[in-house]
Amino acid sequence: MHGSTRREFLKATGVGVAGTVAAGGLLRAVDASLLGPEARAATTTLALAATDGYITMPGREDNPIYVFGFIPVSPSLTVSQLTSTYKGHAQHTAPTLNLKQNDNIKITLTNLGLVQRPDLTDSHTIHWHGFDIPTPLNDGVPEVSVAVPIGQKVTYFYRPHREGTYMYHCHFEDVEHVQMGMTGIVFVRPLQDDNAALKNLGLARSTPNNVAYAGFAYNDGDGSTGYDRHFAILLNEIWAAGYHDGDRDIQESVPTDYDPEWFTLNGRAYPQTVLPNDDGFTTSGLTTANANEGSDDKSQPNSALIQVNPGDRVLLRLANLGYQQHSMELPGLQLHVVGQDASLLRDGANDTSYWTNTLYLGPGEARDVLFDAPAYDGSMPSGSDGRGNYNVYQFKNRDWRKLSNNGAAGPGGMMTEVRVYQTPLPAQTVVSQTYA
Amino acid sequence: MTHLLRRLGIPAALAVAALAPMDVASGQAPATPKTGMVCTPQNAGGSTYDLWASGGYMQTPDGNSVYMWSYQDAAGDASFQTPGPVLCVTEGQTVSITLHNALPEASSIVFPGQDTEVAATGGTPGLLTTEAASNGTATYTFVAGKPGTYLYESGSDVSKQIEMGLYGALIVRPSAHQSWAYNSSSTAFDPSREYLLLLAEIDPDLHHAVEVASNPNAPAYDFTAVHNRYFTINGRSFPDTIQDNDSVLLPSQPYGSLVRIQPNTPGNTQPALIRMINAGVDNHPFHPHGNHTREIAQDGRLLVAPGGATASTEHFAETIGAGQTMDYLLRWDTQSTDSSGQPYNDYWDPNSNPLPVAQPNYRNLTFKDAHTWYSGNPYLGYKGTMPSGTSSLNICGEWYFPLHSHALNEFSNFDQGFGGMGTLLRVDPAGGCFAAATATKILSGTLNAGSYANLAIDDGKLYKVNSTTTGATRVADWYGQFGGLPAGATNLAITYKGSNSSSASQTVYLWDWTTSSWTQLSGPTSVGTADVTVTPSVISLPANYIGTGTKHGMVRIRVRNSKASTSFVTRGNLMKIVYDAP
Repeated sequence: MHGSTRREFLKATGVGVAGTVAAGGLLRAVDASLLGPEARAATTTLALAATDGYITMPGREDNPIYVFGFIPVSPSLTVSQLTSTYKGHAQHTAPTLNLKQNDNIKITLTNLGLVQRPDLTDSHTIHWHGFDIPTPLNDGVPEVSVAVPIGQKVTYFYRPHREGTYMYHCHFEDVEHVQMGMTGIVFVRPLQDDNAALKNLGLARSTPNNVAYAGFAYNDGDGSTGYDRHFAILLNEIWAAGYHDGDRDIQESVPTDYDPEWFTLNGRAYPQTVLPNDDGFTTSGLTTANANEGSDDKSQPNSALIQVNPGDRVLLRLANLGYQQHSMELPGLQLHVVGQDASLLRDGANDTSYWTNTLYLGPGEARDVLFDAPAYDGSMPSGSDGRGNYNVYQFKNRDWRKLSNNGAAGPGGMMTEVRVYQTPLPAQTVVSQTYA
Repeated sequence: MTHLLRRLGIPAALAVAALAPMDVASGQAPATPKTGMVCTPQNAGGSTYDLWASGGYMQTPDGNSVYMWSYQDAAGDASFQTPGPVLCVTEGQTVSITLHNALPEASSIVFPGQDTEVAATGGTPGLLTTEAASNGTATYTFVAGKPGTYLYESGSDVSKQIEMGLYGALIVRPSAHQSWAYNSSSTAFDPSREYLLLLAEIDPDLHHAVEVASNPNAPAYDFTAVHNRYFTINGRSFPDTIQDNDSVLLPSQPYGSLVRIQPNTPGNTQPALIRMINAGVDNHPFHPHGNHTREIAQDGRLLVAPGGATASTEHFAETIGAGQTMDYLLRWDTQSTDSSGQPYNDYWDPNSNPLPVAQPNYRNLTFKDAHTWYSGNPYLGYKGTMPSGTSSLNICGEWYFPLHSHALNEFSNFDQGFGGMGTLLRVDPAGGCFAAATATKILSGTLNAGSYANLAIDDGKLYKVNSTTTGATRVADWYGQFGGLPAGATNLAITYKGSNSSSASQTVYLWDWTTSSWTQLSGPTSVGTADVTVTPSVISLPANYIGTGTKHGMVRIRVRNSKASTSFVTRGNLMKIVYDAP
């Protein structure tokens, strides 16, 4: 990737906020609750560029999959600078956007055009899926608002009042562009993350987890959605023989013929899913030869690996931007569904959260799911990596057809691992953090 | 299909006021409302229906036509409709439905989710229920059970007859509260905003096999080879879904699914009700843009916790399973509190609360296929200038958001995207569309200061006219002219606010284009130096007051002030019209 500019991607400005920038995350130095209603709102400025590129799916290492995607870029670069640096180097999935409730969010989208298909002059948009949006201008649906043609940029504005997990995608010719890879997770942290008293409820837990919660999924008022680590995982499918190869080879695809061959978590199919992130902390080793650009692209930067300590309360931020309903299981661990579609599962005072071991997730739906990592057990099936020994729990699709990579014998596809380590990992500093 | 006799399932007077402005004094039946759920009339004398099962054709937006089987509420090809008629009954009512089977095979109706036994007379016993033989009849009688949204469908040869379209909606209303969805005040809704979205899929090859079944070379009907190509809401695929109910463009598909709401205000607190039914065999993940919806019930049962407390849930996408029904409330609140209790105001307004990001230059952007529902302006009730070559379908700055299946392969018409299982949510400005004067003309007196532009906002910026200065009666008489009101606009609400430099007698008029005369709206009233606001009665059917031809869309509001002996200045602060767009 293009590290020097990527670090500028999340650039925090605004009243009294000293933003500390890290890849994919934003650390705040000021307790926002001390400020007045207007001054409390910080401004977060982000920029994304849209272009094409290639990714690798297991079984097609020698024949990369053509994708469209969003790349995180510096808001201060010009269109021509962006074009010369990023055009043709799309990533999938798009960066996970970590935002704060009630902040002013400005996201600039620049359309760089396509290297593989210079004849295809598609526009792009950002649709923040699920946002209660008080003007269609920022909804990103080109039939009812605007789209961004090649060489242009537009700045979308959002002020999120509902915390929780959402997703975002391009809505221009959506059946094609969503499948082509212009998909990512966006989540909104609650104001309650500034409430030290509620965070300290975590201290009442037994050793070694008598630590304050790192944050909350929702403004629950009682700490019931507190977590130690959180992971954003986007479920998806890849229909290579349709849009991906079709768009590469200038062939039409028929949407109602949809028949995906790969099933992915964060744009990777198992065993790619357990490789680390490509970010400032780790490198996946997963690269794709980009024939157009003559480069080896780290175009699938987002890991789906879930590395935790024994006793951690873990929040999974799950969203589905495939076109099929998926049935996800984490055998051995119970799933506590506390939120869906950026809504706390509570009707008035009535708790509507539920426990399950099989989580259905339809297209366009999101769930916030908690589980408690068990103690490390040396007698259980385990592995080891650079962080030492761990127990493995598989987070996987119940439908074995989706544990296959293009029909090959499994396991593959929509599966990743929860690794519970014998030797504690450091505290998470960004969402979905992986440790090599 | 008995278009003219269709009526709303809500009290007629309310329907006329809210949705179907017609001259009731003329004795005409109210026309079908353009949007919203339409209940089929019961037979005279009670809750009985006659339904005919027969074949006909539906149209798809890509120019195809597909042979369907369906229920219809009158005999004959001209009455064919898909899906079946919406049956609205009240809990506890004894409902009797006689099926006249015009299909080439035995058919029937089942009522999943009804509590009491369905008694069938006539016909012959079938696998699931009594069947009417081809060209025969059967009558089904039951006591309508708990309130809610239900499906009715064929109980015969279901792998063919349900695929072919033999399904419809059955609505059971609470006996005590017609504008509650269930027997709970938490399900109260605005009866003028009740919507039905019935989802289904179509495999045109299977339908073709049935259509040509009498041909010896006909392909076999193999339902295991089902490959759906069309995905419908109320029997239509997007963009046909947003056409009016009973659109002449879609003669056998009478039900539109455009959802129209206005922002909730202190005087308009009720949500819209959206009843959803999945009559197909696939699950459909339905995604509302714009705002969350609140699911209050499933399969005709209120969502409650074991202790009886409500257990509704909010969604930006929810999968509705095959055969399920779900009921949703939809609000549009412009000012509210967030989940932490913090108040906020995201009612963006170009004057008082502009968006923190400047509008983009629309000439540098793309409007899909050079036509758009966007107004050219991000603010509700305002329109902007579109780039040349781009046409806007927007009427008065209303907003549109898609409501669609997020299995995006279903948000398609066979091979084309942005079609199929989708419709639009239309958010109208609070109270209706807004219009300001675009010109003024002085009939008596002279211009003192200002122009028509000063009349648009209640801001103390004034349009001033000097009265005449001679004679026993001094007069300041002028009118504001409005342009661009659409033909078919209804419920004209006029507001004029102004004052005089010294007290004078004020009368307000409206120009009647059919008689070329002024119709008096208010007055004479004495208006002095303090602003007086005049709000004449809402004109539900203003056709005579909206110009046609070269005067297309023009409305004139006249303000005449007069006073004996003393000259004065009349001062207009605000002159506006709010109306319901067609």
